[in-house]
Amino acid sequence: MSGATFDHLKALIVEDNVHMRTLLKSLLTALGLKHAYEASNGADAFLIMRDKSPDLILTDLSMKPVDGIAFTREVRLAHDSPNPYVPIIMITGHTERHKVEAARDAGVTEFLAKPITAQGLFLRIGEIVERPRAFVRCDGYFGPDRRRRKDENFTGPWRRHDDFGVEMR
Amino acid sequence: MTLKKPSPPHRRIRAVKIPPGGYPALPRKVALQLLEAVQDPEVIATAARAIADKAEEMRGAVLRHVESLEQAARAADQTRIFEQAHEIRGLAGNAGLIATGRIANNLCKYLDALGQAGRQPDQELVALHLEAIGRAAHAEDEATRLGDAVANELAHLVDKKLAEINDSARRA
Repeated sequence: MSGATFDHLKALIVEDNVHMRTLLKSLLTALGLKHAYEASNGADAFLIMRDKSPDLILTDLSMKPVDGIAFTREVRLAHDSPNPYVPIIMITGHTERHKVEAARDAGVTEFLAKPITAQGLFLRIGEIVERPRAFVRCDGYFGPDRRRRKDENFTGPWRRHDDFGVEMR
Repeated sequence: MTLKKPSPPHRRIRAVKIPPGGYPALPRKVALQLLEAVQDPEVIATAARAIADKAEEMRGAVLRHVESLEQAARAADQTRIFEQAHEIRGLAGNAGLIATGRIANNLCKYLDALGQAGRQPDQELVALHLEAIGRAAHAEDEATRLGDAVANELAHLVDKKLAEINDSARRA
């Protein structure tokens, strides 16, 4: 067993359902995290975010008054966001395509569909650590690169510096 | 040396890419320890036990949401019906109520698509889902072939209804 404890690693759990929040916290505790802050909506979460500057955020999508999409946008774009690059895992029961696309376009790093499994959550944390995504800034978007796969048949639009030029092989 | 992409004469670059390493991240030592921890079978087993330990609590929460769903149905409150069904689909899997979660997900999918299309739901189909959710959530062993069969039948009905909506939207 790794037996590691992460005394300085801080996570923020944003979820309106107390049972789900407790469940997520127990998974992070099992992983060895000592500091997992909790918020029940995006507005409270951003206050904690400014105060604690977490290294990892787990957020639900549907919450009131501020949902996970608006919260993610705030983290990525607000002038007083302490870390606009923080990894955000969205954990949601929403399977509707338009919701998932809206969350992706707000700047979510990874998705995890409910029901939650330890393997599912840890796989995504591992992905964030092992294969960090590039960030993209363009008109109307700042967040992780949404082109997750290298598509050899991609036909545009070509909007990035590295879309052009010469590649050495 | 190969040309990567054609360069159109009128190209206008609007996006900037910041590669990993170009922005703040976890210190390398912590990142490696974390990676080791998430891949450790004992850590995964401990976390899986933590989930299993919460199943009964989750089941209680699902049953409370089923009550709220039934209240919302009696009040014909479509927004609350969706909200409660959404809560149920989110919690049911971790409560071991797989069929309940699937049926609640069908209902959400249906109500969401109808909302997107600006249409009113078929109340009989909604009522069928509500009854099935209630029965499945209260069943002693809902993970039976019957629960799966009901979930499959309802999914089929929802798909059929959504296909009709898509067809009429295409024709309009």
